[in-house]
Amino acid sequence: MIIDINFIGLIIASIMASAVPLILASCGELITERSGVLNLGVEGMMIIGAISGFALMTVTGSLIIAIFGAMLAGVLISTIFAFLTQTLITNHVATGLALTIFGIGISAMIGKNFVGIPGKEFPVLYEGLKDTIPLLGPILFGHSIVFYFAFALPFITSYFLKKTKIGLIVRAVGDSPESASNQGINVRLVRYACILYGGAMSGLAGAYLSMIYTPQWIENMTGGRGWIALALVVFSTWNPIKILIGAMIFGGLTIIQFHMQAIGVRIPVQFLTALPYIVTIIVLVVISRDSRKIRLSTPSSLGKSFHKDN
Amino acid sequence: MNTTLKISNVTKIYPGCVANDNVSLEFNSGKIYALLGENGAGKSTLVKILSGVIIPDEGKIYLNENNLKLNSPLDAKKNDIGMVFQHFNLFETLSVFENLIIDSDEQRESLKEKIDTIMKKYNFSIDLDIPVLNLSAGQKQKVEIIRCLIRSPKVLIMDEPTSVLTEQETSELFSSLKKFSEEGILIIYITHKLKEVMQLCDEVAVMRRGKLVSVSEIENENIESLANKMVGQNLKTIKKKKAKTSSDQLIKITNLNFTSEDPFETNLMDINFSVNRGECLGIAGISGNGQSELFQVLSGEIISEKNSIKFNNNYIGDLNPQERREYLMAFSPEDRLEQAAIPQMKIFENVALNNFKSSNFFNNGLINENKIKEHSKKIISDFNVNTDNIDLKSQFLSGGNLQKLIIGRELITSPDLLICFNPTWGLDVGAINYIHETLIEINEQNKSIILISTDTDELLKLSDKISVIHKGKLSKIMNAEEVTSEKLGILMGGAN
Repeated sequence: MIIDINFIGLIIASIMASAVPLILASCGELITERSGVLNLGVEGMMIIGAISGFALMTVTGSLIIAIFGAMLAGVLISTIFAFLTQTLITNHVATGLALTIFGIGISAMIGKNFVGIPGKEFPVLYEGLKDTIPLLGPILFGHSIVFYFAFALPFITSYFLKKTKIGLIVRAVGDSPESASNQGINVRLVRYACILYGGAMSGLAGAYLSMIYTPQWIENMTGGRGWIALALVVFSTWNPIKILIGAMIFGGLTIIQFHMQAIGVRIPVQFLTALPYIVTIIVLVVISRDSRKIRLSTPSSLGKSFHKDN
Repeated sequence: MNTTLKISNVTKIYPGCVANDNVSLEFNSGKIYALLGENGAGKSTLVKILSGVIIPDEGKIYLNENNLKLNSPLDAKKNDIGMVFQHFNLFETLSVFENLIIDSDEQRESLKEKIDTIMKKYNFSIDLDIPVLNLSAGQKQKVEIIRCLIRSPKVLIMDEPTSVLTEQETSELFSSLKKFSEEGILIIYITHKLKEVMQLCDEVAVMRRGKLVSVSEIENENIESLANKMVGQNLKTIKKKKAKTSSDQLIKITNLNFTSEDPFETNLMDINFSVNRGECLGIAGISGNGQSELFQVLSGEIISEKNSIKFNNNYIGDLNPQERREYLMAFSPEDRLEQAAIPQMKIFENVALNNFKSSNFFNNGLINENKIKEHSKKIISDFNVNTDNIDLKSQFLSGGNLQKLIIGRELITSPDLLICFNPTWGLDVGAINYIHETLIEINEQNKSIILISTDTDELLKLSDKISVIHKGKLSKIMNAEEVTSEKLGILMGGAN
């Protein structure tokens, strides 16, 4: 059997495409968590982004409005979370779970009128260059702008955290909000900003699903990707580059197990479906075993409320 | 360039307590000032007001005749007031340099140069690129000091700076502070340690229950007079009577070793000692030389070989703390709020925690609350714990009261041996005196103590025999009368 080298390129490209929403949501959540806030509402924010993007695209016809509208929707819903956890000092875990349930419910309600409507084609870049290089052509070219942004994001995030002053402040707040506050840093402001940024990225991840990856609205279409994004953040030990690796493994196994099911490999389907979840976590645990590094990158105040006493 | 800091009629009231009651003080540069007081006297509140963390209800602060509005820590920094808190305000997972650059407006390069100059000038040596969590307490404090010095402050406030330092680090700190003072920085030194005030300061202000009690030149004071002002009553000096020599061996440790997998822990090598009934064995040492490992091995938090610990003619090396308690051992760990008690639980619940078996606190798996409460009330009255509310969460007890509660909880079962680790760490004079009296009483009842402590004065006061731990090894055991604090100091540094 001769395998077309371009076919392998296409498979890799499809793996990368399926990793995009995970990378976006994880990198957003990573910033939120680095500031010490645990937002379990990623799944809810993603699905809100998905329906907002799709609805705006259908109603206005503008892709740009739809993409930015989806991000704005993510920001708005995360503002609820930020207000509850930072201003009213509610528990992060409970509030995040409520946010997810709220998001899934409200998206289903809004989405009723959009079921079965076909999506629009999203423009891709450098389509013509696809066939110029074997293997690499389909991997590098012919993708949407969101795709390229997603693959740049882990590196931008890493640079932001390590090299910029604002990144340093975010890490400092996550390490010790008390000390940060005593240093004159406005902890609440920083955490608000990080939560809202996480919301925008989750919204974008959702819009990618409903507008680019599978351009249509299906109820509950995020299908647990928000939870996987959360798991990636933790198991990557808050390292954006490892999120990229984890998302690729997850995407890869998801695609490969589809193909295996199609070929008719004699392994129970349930096992194949569960495989990406298990393997991704095992791999990330194995590559992040250095306990010293874990201690250094884990935000010490994660999930703890901070209130300034006076 | 003279600096004058004036506090004028400052009052801060919390629900149920007046933390600062109309306090007025004046400080001038060129001198080192001590602000002395017991825990809860209001000195921390006052310095938090000076550093902008707390806003006073009434009163004004003047720096060189300018009325300062200190609404946030940032305001204090802008007005050249630097502050080193008792609990460090550092970011443990960030590098030293990141900790320093975070609140500075300078460029990387120029800041680096500035830090280098400061470190050279005062002989500090700290690796700027390692994370703060790898530094010792003394080094962390230096980072805090550098952070203040970068801004060339006019006023430097040190809040209980020596509570986490070794003696060596303390003397280094003192010589740095004297240098700063000579260079015209006004230094305010907050403490409850009288010896340090006498050693370091020029003038002393004493606070008690939120009020300023006295301001005086150090030459006119001595340790006794300051102690009496601080406590508000005459303290009796306690002294231990020489123990009746007994040859009845209670506990014997033979060839005990402990190798840790954690690189931040100390390995114990070939530990051998024995304690007779009615005796107190003191174990001295600079913190981090294996004391906490030794305590854990003795208490059963770390299990060792069965034969390595013989207690009351039983081999108990492989038993856990609960089982060791059945053999009448009792323990008072170093960290009161983390190891000895559970801060969120009520007083009586904490009392129940170490008495699972040998008491009637539990019937068929149910809690017998009345029994526990009765028992808790007895501890509170017998051991002078200053509260009558046994439903209070333990975290709201002061350090001294909590320590009394813990010692009381351990002693009420009348154990044969009490092992304690820094029992008076961070306590005020009154509480220290009480704990010391209690420990002496234990010995008088022919019961034994192993006292692991970093406070040499305490050890010399209470011990019958003393040994020094250094890098996980014990020195030979000496009779306390033959030992001086100088000799201990040399052994603690590792010399023979």
